[in-house]
Amino acid sequence: MYINKLNTHIIPFKFEYHAPKSVEEAVELLSRYGEEASILAGGTDLLVKMKQRVIEPKHIIDIKRIKDLTGIREEEDGIHIGAATKLRTLERSKLIEEKLPVLHEAVITMGSVQIRNMATIGGNLCNASPSADAATPLLALNAEAKIVGSEGERIIPLEEFFIGPGKTALKPDEMLAEVISPYLPENAGTSFMKIGWTDFDIATVNLAVILKLEGEVVDECRIALGGCAPTPIRVHKAEEFLRGKKLTDEVLEEAANIVSGHVRPRARWRRAPPEYRRAVSRALTIDALTIARKRIEGLEVNRGED
Amino acid sequence: MMAQGFRLIGESTPRMDGIAKVTGQEVYSSDIHFPNMLHARVLKSPYPHARVKRIDVSEAEKLGAIVVTYREVPDVVYCPRLVSTPEATYKDWRVLTGRPLYVGDPIAAVAAESEEMAQRALEAIDVEFEVLEPSFDPLDSMRPEKTSIHERIMYMGKEIKIENNIACTMEIEQGDVEKGFSEADVVLEREYRTNRRYHCQLEPKTAVVRPEPDGGVTIWTTTQSIHNTRLLIHEIFGIPAGKINVVKTALGGAFGSSIQTNIVVPIAVALALKAHKPVRLAYTREEDLHEHCSYQMIFNLKLGAKRDGKLTAGSLEAILDIGAHQIQAYPLLGCLVGWWVSLYKLPNLRYVGKAVYTNKVPSCAMRGFGNPQITWAVESMMDELAEELGIDPVEFKLLNHVGLGDLFWGQGPTVKSIIKSSGVEEIVRRGAKLIGWDKRPKPGEQRGRYRRGIGFGRGFHTSSAGGPVPGTAVDYTGAMLKVNEDGSFDYITALMDCGGGTLTAHAKIIAEEIGVPLECINIVRSDTQTTLYDVCTHASRGVYAGGMAALQVAREVKRKLLELAARVLDAYPHALKIRPDEERSQGVIYVEGVEGREITIGELASMARHKNWGTIAAVASVRQGSCPPHFTAYFVEVEVDTETGKVRPIRVVAGADVGSVINPKLAEGQIHGGFAMGWSMAILEDTPYDPENGDLMNRGFINNYKLPTPADLVPPDRFTVFFANTYEPTGPLGAKGIGEGALNPVAGAVANAIYNAIGIRFYELPITPIKILKALREREGG
Ligand SMILES: Cc1cc2nc3c(=O)[nH]c(=O)nc-3n(C[C@H](O)[C@H](O)[C@H](O)COP(=O)(O)OP(=O)(O)OC[C@H]3O[C@@H](n4cnc5c(N)ncnc54)[C@H](O)[C@@H]3O)c2cc1C
Repeated sequence: MYINKLNTHIIPFKFEYHAPKSVEEAVELLSRYGEEASILAGGTDLLVKMKQRVIEPKHIIDIKRIKDLTGIREEEDGIHIGAATKLRTLERSKLIEEKLPVLHEAVITMGSVQIRNMATIGGNLCNASPSADAATPLLALNAEAKIVGSEGERIIPLEEFFIGPGKTALKPDEMLAEVISPYLPENAGTSFMKIGWTDFDIATVNLAVILKLEGEVVDECRIALGGCAPTPIRVHKAEEFLRGKKLTDEVLEEAANIVSGHVRPRARWRRAPPEYRRAVSRALTIDALTIARKRIEGLEVNRGED
Repeated sequence: MMAQGFRLIGESTPRMDGIAKVTGQEVYSSDIHFPNMLHARVLKSPYPHARVKRIDVSEAEKLGAIVVTYREVPDVVYCPRLVSTPEATYKDWRVLTGRPLYVGDPIAAVAAESEEMAQRALEAIDVEFEVLEPSFDPLDSMRPEKTSIHERIMYMGKEIKIENNIACTMEIEQGDVEKGFSEADVVLEREYRTNRRYHCQLEPKTAVVRPEPDGGVTIWTTTQSIHNTRLLIHEIFGIPAGKINVVKTALGGAFGSSIQTNIVVPIAVALALKAHKPVRLAYTREEDLHEHCSYQMIFNLKLGAKRDGKLTAGSLEAILDIGAHQIQAYPLLGCLVGWWVSLYKLPNLRYVGKAVYTNKVPSCAMRGFGNPQITWAVESMMDELAEELGIDPVEFKLLNHVGLGDLFWGQGPTVKSIIKSSGVEEIVRRGAKLIGWDKRPKPGEQRGRYRRGIGFGRGFHTSSAGGPVPGTAVDYTGAMLKVNEDGSFDYITALMDCGGGTLTAHAKIIAEEIGVPLECINIVRSDTQTTLYDVCTHASRGVYAGGMAALQVAREVKRKLLELAARVLDAYPHALKIRPDEERSQGVIYVEGVEGREITIGELASMARHKNWGTIAAVASVRQGSCPPHFTAYFVEVEVDTETGKVRPIRVVAGADVGSVINPKLAEGQIHGGFAMGWSMAILEDTPYDPENGDLMNRGFINNYKLPTPADLVPPDRFTVFFANTYEPTGPLGAKGIGEGALNPVAGAVANAIYNAIGIRFYELPITPIKILKALREREGG
């Protein structure tokens, strides 16, 4: 009877709404209600799921009023972004634009202004969509997730945070408090690429690249790929291949082949077949590396314009 | 010739409902609320083909809901669209059904104090189904061993049997087709398959129904025809027509999906009659997607031409996937052949059209009514044929096009008329020049990742379904105009404005004709009880047909004004003129050349009251004697990314012959909107079905039904629109339509542009990045 439940308008089931003012309070609620509770940040994923009856939580824990969970801080070890920070705040942050341009480039492609006014970075990561647009740049940035729970705090690399589609390393009584992104290596060039069917669409494939050259040779390269496997992934094999090489056409091709070899088909892929994702991940790899290099060289990048 | 000397026609004026709309003050059906009003939800079939074995609503009723099931609604088989005469109307609908034919088919409905409570009641209904074999493809559906979707339907008051799931057919033959093809030097035959698109109108279907103390009902709903809504409710429920009042309510777009009375209306009536309370039934977007879509068509098209470029023969076999019900399948079979033969002259032709039932959402008219589909196929084939013949497609199409003085089939074989105005040459030649047609690349010659191409598509649509003889389509309208005591005018029409600014155009025609400022014209919010019959705002007829009634009442009122003024001013009526006085917001009647002999319309109307001369008013019911084509031509430049298959529009040049242009900015808006819709039809939209559960794969806007955004389209500085210098002698002040012609040739132009860029033709819509990439790789591989 799914047809009779499916809608994006009505929530007919009852739930209790909680609005904790502190992280401690939120954690306390989480450990009390466990799997019956859902955290509500911007709600742009959660409410859709509730209306479509994918989940029917009995308790909603709204974390938007917890001050400690919002804001962007510059620290020695990197930039700390509160989990409940809005995408719109990141979009407007000069700090993010200058220090983490690859994240900025991703954020401005996400949803519409209305969505970005509500959506949070933590929500994007915790929703754990394989094509989450904030995930690929943060993976490439070697970001870490600061998690709090009733047992206290722990910090894990973002690569260990994503476990499967919609699944994270969070335990039922834990929540994401912060994302910590190390600074970019000096003179690094970056690029974020995304393909969807329209300008206002989630990614069929997305990809983030961070590139550092030593003369003409690759000193370090990090590549993260989204929409091609059960989680967003780092493509370490391609990174290792590129180290110490000049970015000739052949090298670019080979790196792209390695990346596209990481496409792992999923049974529920309806948007595009594996061949398409392979082809596009190849193209995006070459594009992203080329653009990152141009940016290092200070060249202007205008893709697809006349 | 273009109309000269107009004051308002040809000037861009803001639409009269613009402020209410952009400030959110406009009242749409879903905004209507009453005390004690109940909210309704509809129980839908989760199976594409089934029979209800048992239904138990007791739990829902225990929750306090009012419930109606298929067993309680009137046992009436109807057709929700009342535009055609009985000879062209097949009936196979019931308000609610115990034998659902698609996922989403309404079985029961509930009403409760809130939508949430109604939803809970809905989920408490217990139904047991017997699942039947579905078919999702018309070719599969026609196989004799397939289960019948409808065994019997109603036609002209009698039951008729349906064989092989073929809902209706039409065959037409003219000349000697075999001879025609044998005379041809080049013959092409191809199969084309279109997509099945959702209308994506802004406002989901809604009905608010208030039962009245006299046993009647008042209805606010999303409709393109208030009168046909009333007639249908009368037909189903037997309530006297005079006691059914359908109120004209602002409509958030429809694109054809409310030509028929939407299913929400009879369901809400059934609930309101049972509850004795007002009922509001507003579909969610997901439900709306399960309610209507365009017709998918499979064409086998064959055209033959001589070396000199003259077409000698054509044959078309069209198979239409109409989904689970007929809304207007038979009229469509007629229109389809009309669109086909009215593009290019075919001395010999054969047409076979078949409309086939499938277990899918019922198809209905969608902007262009089959014309965008067949024009895509024909424009693709004409491009291909031109290349085979070594003739420039522009010349080839101009040589063969149906134009001035030719017989035009417009709305099908029963609606023929002679074309009296045509700007085809003008828009095609000027468009070709503006895009730089001569400099376009040779198909498939380019290398490199990004490849650009220019494509050309032309087409037309009828303005109205009018004709010199009655035909099988009802097409007439009515208007009333009265002069108020302050010199303003009340204009009363049943004709709906679907959002295109149609009624603003009527007001302009009236103000122009009488000679008063535009703001003098007040468009009355009316209803079925206070208006004359109008068939429907469809077929691009709002301005051409509706505007003619407006013009006639304006002329009549003007004649009466001048007659009365002649008495007062002591002059002859024919010596009087009316000029607009913008300062006084009034028209002034004066004797030309004699100073001081003048009176404002307000003064005259006021005097008419004091002297008991009566109201100065006119009423007219008008039928147009033809349905002239408005023509369009699109030149589109695209860029194909051969690594991702994505196509981007680079430039658009669009020329349109709409006769006199009433409101240029709004007419341009129709072209921009038409392009957006056609672009999306060409490369993006479809409603595929999941064969496992028989449901749509993309069930909502968030669930994957995507539309292009402004960023996916062409910025205004790269989008040129121009209008032909024409005047339609049968139109109001020279005007024709625009709404559908603005869309019809777009997909063909885009497909030809893609071909020009990469040298590959596609015979199936939409031409998605996945298909493009696959085709490019296959060509490289093989
Ligand atoms: C129209 C539309 C367009 C969109 N476009 C894009 C797009 O282009 N790219 C893209 O990537 N996404 C897109 N999204 C998805 C969504 O907007 C983003 O994923 C967004 O960042 C989610 O953030 P939120 O704050 O709204 O999350 P919520 O919906 O509040 O939460 C999402 C999930 O994360 C959990 N959660 C939230 N915060 C925490 C926390 N601190 N700790 C633990 N769990 C938490 C919630 O319980 C829930 O399960 C779109 C959504 C819509 C509706």
